[in-house]
Amino acid sequence: MNSQPDALPKEPSIRPSTPGLGWDEFSRELVEFFASVKLAIFLFLFIAITATIGTVIQQGERAEVYVQEYGENAYRWFLRLGFTDVYHTWWFTSLLGLLCVNSLTCFYKRFPSVWRSMKQDKVGVTMAFIKNLKQQAEIPLDNTKEAVAQQMVHHFVTKGYRVLAKNEPGEVTVYATKGVMGRVGAHMAHLSATVIIFGGLLGTYYGFQEFGVCLEGQTYHIPRGNFDLKVDKFWIDYHENGSVKSYNSTLTVVDGGQSVVTKTISVNDPLVYKGIWFYQSSYGDAWDQVEVARVNIKDKETDKVLKTVDLEWQKEQALPDLKVKLSITDFVADFAFNSTEKKVYSKTIEHANPAVKLVITERDSVQATPWIFQQFPDLFNIKDSKYQFELVGYKPRKFTGLQIAKNPGINIVWTGCTMIVVGITLSSFIFHRRLWAKIVPGQTGVTVHLGGTTHKSQIDFQKEFRKLTEKIQTFKT
Amino acid sequence: MKSLFLFDMTFWLYLAALVLYIGYLFARRPTMALAPAGHLPENFDERDGVWATQLGQVATLVTIFGWMLNTGALFTRAFERMEHSGTFAPWSNQFEAMAYVSWAIILGYVLLEMRYKIKAIGAFVVGIGFIAMGAASLLPYRYQTAEPLVPALNSYWIYIHVSVTLTSYAAFATAGGLGVMYLFKERAERLGKTAGFYAAFPDLETIDELGYKAITVGFPMLAFGIILGAMWANYAWGGYWSWDPKETWSLIVWLIYGAYIHARMTRGWEGHKAAIYAVFGFLMVIFCFWGVNFLLSGLHAYA
Repeated sequence: MNSQPDALPKEPSIRPSTPGLGWDEFSRELVEFFASVKLAIFLFLFIAITATIGTVIQQGERAEVYVQEYGENAYRWFLRLGFTDVYHTWWFTSLLGLLCVNSLTCFYKRFPSVWRSMKQDKVGVTMAFIKNLKQQAEIPLDNTKEAVAQQMVHHFVTKGYRVLAKNEPGEVTVYATKGVMGRVGAHMAHLSATVIIFGGLLGTYYGFQEFGVCLEGQTYHIPRGNFDLKVDKFWIDYHENGSVKSYNSTLTVVDGGQSVVTKTISVNDPLVYKGIWFYQSSYGDAWDQVEVARVNIKDKETDKVLKTVDLEWQKEQALPDLKVKLSITDFVADFAFNSTEKKVYSKTIEHANPAVKLVITERDSVQATPWIFQQFPDLFNIKDSKYQFELVGYKPRKFTGLQIAKNPGINIVWTGCTMIVVGITLSSFIFHRRLWAKIVPGQTGVTVHLGGTTHKSQIDFQKEFRKLTEKIQTFKT
Repeated sequence: MKSLFLFDMTFWLYLAALVLYIGYLFARRPTMALAPAGHLPENFDERDGVWATQLGQVATLVTIFGWMLNTGALFTRAFERMEHSGTFAPWSNQFEAMAYVSWAIILGYVLLEMRYKIKAIGAFVVGIGFIAMGAASLLPYRYQTAEPLVPALNSYWIYIHVSVTLTSYAAFATAGGLGVMYLFKERAERLGKTAGFYAAFPDLETIDELGYKAITVGFPMLAFGIILGAMWANYAWGGYWSWDPKETWSLIVWLIYGAYIHARMTRGWEGHKAAIYAVFGFLMVIFCFWGVNFLLSGLHAYA
């Protein structure tokens, strides 16, 4: 942001004249190009324009979705240009890379002069230079040049300026400057782009993000961290109007056979262990377990419901009055049968066709283990039994969806973020001001030639300059 | 809900303030603007000046009163929220966010007026504050109530991420208003109409500079807001950046203003160009704030 050509008159630089396009010439041109604000503006706008693509076209969808919405021809172009995953295409990444090169080159080219102006300043300027500045005033005073200079220096210092003065026989030159931090801030922001992108790359290459579906009471091995995670408990809190307030899992980290940490995580409150973060991400109904199933027992002959029982998962319940024992041993949310393996499984995770496997024991010997279906109560008839069993309802066990992630670049990203915020804030609110004054003795008293410049906030500076001028007018004996 | 009544009252007061500011512009006579301090021009009619000054004062008072009501409404909403939705933040849905933005715009304007003493700006900036409030009250009732928050939003991050981002939007809105004002004034000058309505307008350079100032306030603030959002996302979703439409659009808006700030330094994007750009940038902000919620889907689409 600091590319305003320096207001100081430039000394003619002595360059060895190389014939043709020498390396020096070439590298200078190259630096010029990569440090240019023109390139920065182009990149800002071009990235802005291309970034809109990904917000209009759904990213990372299946091919059918695109074909259906945009047609096959358009989809072919999407693939060619990477529009289905814009932000990870080579060309978008290159734009970001170019932005880094741009800001770094700008830093390399322009920061040294900012650094120098923090260390030392150019006091001696010509009268013509002062008269050419945007703000300038001529103030005749009835005083000696030393006295005026002294008061002026004192006043500038109390206003927070850093002041340098040069007393020469003919005149006194005073130079005052303030707010160079604004320029330093801009360069800090320039460096931050690279820091953030570097941190981001580190995260992409050395980090991971996984999703885990976990059930209460189970222990899971986390291979990436070489420890185990036990899900002690999962529950949901509700608002008074019935909407979900939060969902929570109590997790215990088991490392080397020992429980190390126990924490209840909820949305916005993850558990961190060995740099791996466990987020409460979602929840849902398990497709292979229930907590409780409700079963009606009917008399086959009369078709009357004799009893309704709530059976807990894999717990045998005795019904002495009917002389049976019942238990639920299996559950599938969407019943399917694999005929080659002779196995029942859940086709999807949707509760589309729920069924439980009921174990019925009469007279202490297992009599039947039928699957009973909620939607098809009459599908099976148990021959030897005088009862008919119907699944009328169940309470599925909830699974907790955990996002498991590690991002070794995160702190670098935050460092870059801090730099960019501090940097832009400094450069927005602190502006670099420079004042020069020449105090020239005349026939009666002196004339103060005051001039000032800033690279932004002209109206504020104008006000400040006017006040300074008014103050200088009071420097009488 | 008590707060809805207060929001309504705020709306009407902002409307009144806008009408008064426009009235002030019409009442203002050219002689007032041209008269050097302490020297009355020959054909000066004192009643004109008094009339305009009084209108201006009333406009400012009504604006301040409206802003106080707006503050009261936001506080009332905060207490309503606390009762049954687990957060204080009175900017937790689209309606509240709009009401907060207009609060911030008006606050910014009042500070601007106190510092630079240019009342003519009120007709434009208070106008945008009024439109923001009006757009909020046009939302269907179910968007206006304080429904409990979904778990992902129910976090202390909402206090700071949302308020900082919305404040930056308000700054860009102010810049947009000043841009429109610049274009008005510029057209008037081109047509040689410096009298009447345009007499109270500050000079082009001042409008331009103030517009730029508003952007330099909004720009770092938006950066901070986006970063706070990234930090929140890192806590709630397990990733600080996921190219969700809202995220992407806030970045786009930031890049647009970033280009402007760079261009202004070196390539002379001042005056006319800058004014048009400020209006364009503000339209992008509106899209980021409204369009994305209603037209694009993504993680931020809660409302």
